[in-house]
Amino acid sequence: MTVHDKDENIEFKWGRMKGKGGRNKEVQFYESFTYDGVEYRLFDSVYVYKEGEEEPYIGKLIKIWESPNKPKQVKILWFFRPCEILNFLPTNETRDNELFLASGKGRGLTNVNPLEALVGKCNVICISKDCRNPQPPDEEVQKAEYVFYRVFDVEHCKVSDKLDDQIADFDVKLFLNKLDSLKPVDLKELYIDEKEVTGKGMERNEVVVPPSQNNIQSMTREENGKFVEKLVSRSTEYKSSLGEKPTSNVGLGEACKSNIGFSCRVDDKSMPMVTNGNEDCNASLAKQKSSNEKQLASGDGLKRQLATGYDRSKKISGDKTDLRSKIDEGGKRVAIGGSTRQERVKGNENFTHDTNGLVEDKHDRKTKLDDSKRNLNANRGEGVKRRRFVHDDDDDDDIVETLGLDVNSSKDKKKLRWEKDSSNIEGTHSKRLKLPNEPTKLSHDKLHKESSTKSPNGEKKIDSCEFEVTRRLDTDTNKGLRFKGFTWEEHLKSAHEQGRLVLLQNLDPSLTSQEVKDLVLHAFQEDCMAKIIPATAFSSPLSGQAFVIFRRREAAEEAIRKLKKGCLLMSNGRPLVGSVGSPCFPQKRRKFCGHIVIDQLRMMQREMKDAVSTSHCSKSNNVEYDMALDWCLLQERTAYAWGKLFQRQGDELKKVEAKLKAK
Amino acid sequence: MGSSAEEEEYAAFLEKVKRTIYFDNLSPQVTESVLKTGIDQFATVKSVKFIHIYHEPSDMPLNALVELDSPAKAKEVISVISQRPFMMCGMPRPVRARQAELEMFDDRPKKPGRKIECQWLKPDDPNFKVAQELKQLTLKHTAEATRFMELQLKEEEELHKQQTDKVKQQYGKLKRIESIVADENVKRLARYYNLHHPDD
Repeated sequence: MTVHDKDENIEFKWGRMKGKGGRNKEVQFYESFTYDGVEYRLFDSVYVYKEGEEEPYIGKLIKIWESPNKPKQVKILWFFRPCEILNFLPTNETRDNELFLASGKGRGLTNVNPLEALVGKCNVICISKDCRNPQPPDEEVQKAEYVFYRVFDVEHCKVSDKLDDQIADFDVKLFLNKLDSLKPVDLKELYIDEKEVTGKGMERNEVVVPPSQNNIQSMTREENGKFVEKLVSRSTEYKSSLGEKPTSNVGLGEACKSNIGFSCRVDDKSMPMVTNGNEDCNASLAKQKSSNEKQLASGDGLKRQLATGYDRSKKISGDKTDLRSKIDEGGKRVAIGGSTRQERVKGNENFTHDTNGLVEDKHDRKTKLDDSKRNLNANRGEGVKRRRFVHDDDDDDDIVETLGLDVNSSKDKKKLRWEKDSSNIEGTHSKRLKLPNEPTKLSHDKLHKESSTKSPNGEKKIDSCEFEVTRRLDTDTNKGLRFKGFTWEEHLKSAHEQGRLVLLQNLDPSLTSQEVKDLVLHAFQEDCMAKIIPATAFSSPLSGQAFVIFRRREAAEEAIRKLKKGCLLMSNGRPLVGSVGSPCFPQKRRKFCGHIVIDQLRMMQREMKDAVSTSHCSKSNNVEYDMALDWCLLQERTAYAWGKLFQRQGDELKKVEAKLKAK
Repeated sequence: MGSSAEEEEYAAFLEKVKRTIYFDNLSPQVTESVLKTGIDQFATVKSVKFIHIYHEPSDMPLNALVELDSPAKAKEVISVISQRPFMMCGMPRPVRARQAELEMFDDRPKKPGRKIECQWLKPDDPNFKVAQELKQLTLKHTAEATRFMELQLKEEEELHKQQTDKVKQQYGKLKRIESIVADENVKRLARYYNLHHPDD
């Protein structure tokens, strides 16, 4: 797998100029430009790729400019995919390829991105019945990659099919269909393209030609050649003729490179095959790419853009909105919390870096729900660093679903697009989504049974009316800090805002998070996410605490109420205490006592920032040693004091607990 | 429920705990890499993990768990750090190291074969009152702990102020000396009093 060309080789040419602006008239605005062989104009719909995401974002270019000594930039007005705004869709009745245009004001409406973040044009047709919108012919709608007729107001978070007069200070007509854009496809060029491709000694020439003949009519018309649905149908046609080596690009132009072929072909192959295929395919892709200058289907351009896009992933300004996610440097997916929006299905499998990852990722949506340990994704790619997403297991599917993520329905949507999905893929998916209902049922039954035999017990042992907290059969969920793509911190934040966070105290210090979860499940019959608060030097050795996030606010309040009024007694004689959790989050600039910096020196040291990140043992011949000893002394004293405190508390507890046992 | 896989996992976890060091009093500027390079001087670091307590006041210094590759090394490092003040990312507050404990890991595996039992008490159960009392006690204890923590932070601040003042004074003194030397006054005075001047 070769690493693709770097930025310098991507062709770029400015098109029409639009005007100047900026403070000193040094900013030059443009109306169009050609990038990597694709011509972009204002108000074109484009794909914007972000590394780590399996699907690119789609938006419309609304401003293009360049200023001296600064990189070229574009302002993009976003389209929302239905899955991103699931919570605000009135029903789930959306088309497969429907998008929503952003409108209103605020975050999520537009973003400025470097020009290099663009990875291709997209064919989005407006099918709104608004009188200002030129109505597209049916074939156009069929061929379109995406359609939209509704807008999503980012300020009020509402979906509407009424178009305002202005969006982002531009006349809304600019976003609707253009009169001249409804031309028929220029098929001839595509035809030529195939010939070239076939002439390159691909292994499946005979396969390539028939599809082109059969399916020219059904091809979409634009430059980046997204032949998604058509490919699917095509794939069925020549499925049988596919040999074992998936190296050929089902090639209509470079666009149909490996992955489209793969995506279709995966239908009839087992997954492992795909990994091998990928590598070969990439090799052949690379070969073709270098020899093929043809841009029409722009698959090549697209692919290269994708590839380079990956390299430049960092350049994408990430603060789209709390609707999108940010990717931080650690390769972790950090979703912007703080709103219900964060519940997204996007499982972040690795973005497939072959050309039409754009297509592939639709397919990948299905696979992404699988266990992330699949080699499949590890092998894919062109030497570009992957952002791996560590999945949690089935356990969290429960929560995920009720939290508004429509895991299944989005899966179904994808299903519709890919009619011929093989049972292979299905098989692997279904395993993932198996919800562990049986074990919990069992324990529930046990609970009911035992409570019926409950009797006040006057003996020492309190086990006659107990129920056992059985562990669910799932594997441990708390892998690292991730729950479905969001860190625990974000979960805490959002749960706190929504009132779903509960702090449990007086737990046995040796409990684990998983046990707490099971405990809550059995005591309150509510599913939850739980994490114990790890012990520190200052935590009481007598009891532990945990944060529990319930699914619903009412569940949390109910639990707290129950705990207050009643008593949930643990086996070691401790009643559980619950209260509303109020987490504290570390602030950006924390003050830290104990590090002294001389201000004047600090000025001089501004360039020598590294000097601060040293560590050393202090020797006894300087001032800092004495001061360090002061601190040591303080630490010792406090440690001692804490010890005493806990001792006293322990004694108090024992006294009261003794009363318990005696009764 | 003590399947062998679970037991293995648990045993492996215990192993891990033995060779992990718990650091605290870390400055917020200490990042994973700093910590790693710092400890690398003594022993190979396998992994570094910061503990995030979302429960305590956010001004607390950081804590981290550093996993080394053998328990012997861990002990060694701990003893070295305890004997001489080891500072990271600034001075003079030294970091503190101790042996990690089970409860410090929030993602630990369950102890195999352990069962948790709990029950809801009925109001007429004689233990009910006692349980209520225990609950009150727990709340009291947590309040005490929080209060104590605040006191501790205050003391730390005091010490910090004290030391800052001292340092400033020292610095001022040294600066003055420097300026005197720089503008030749010292030389002049030395000649006047027939004293030996260091520069001659």
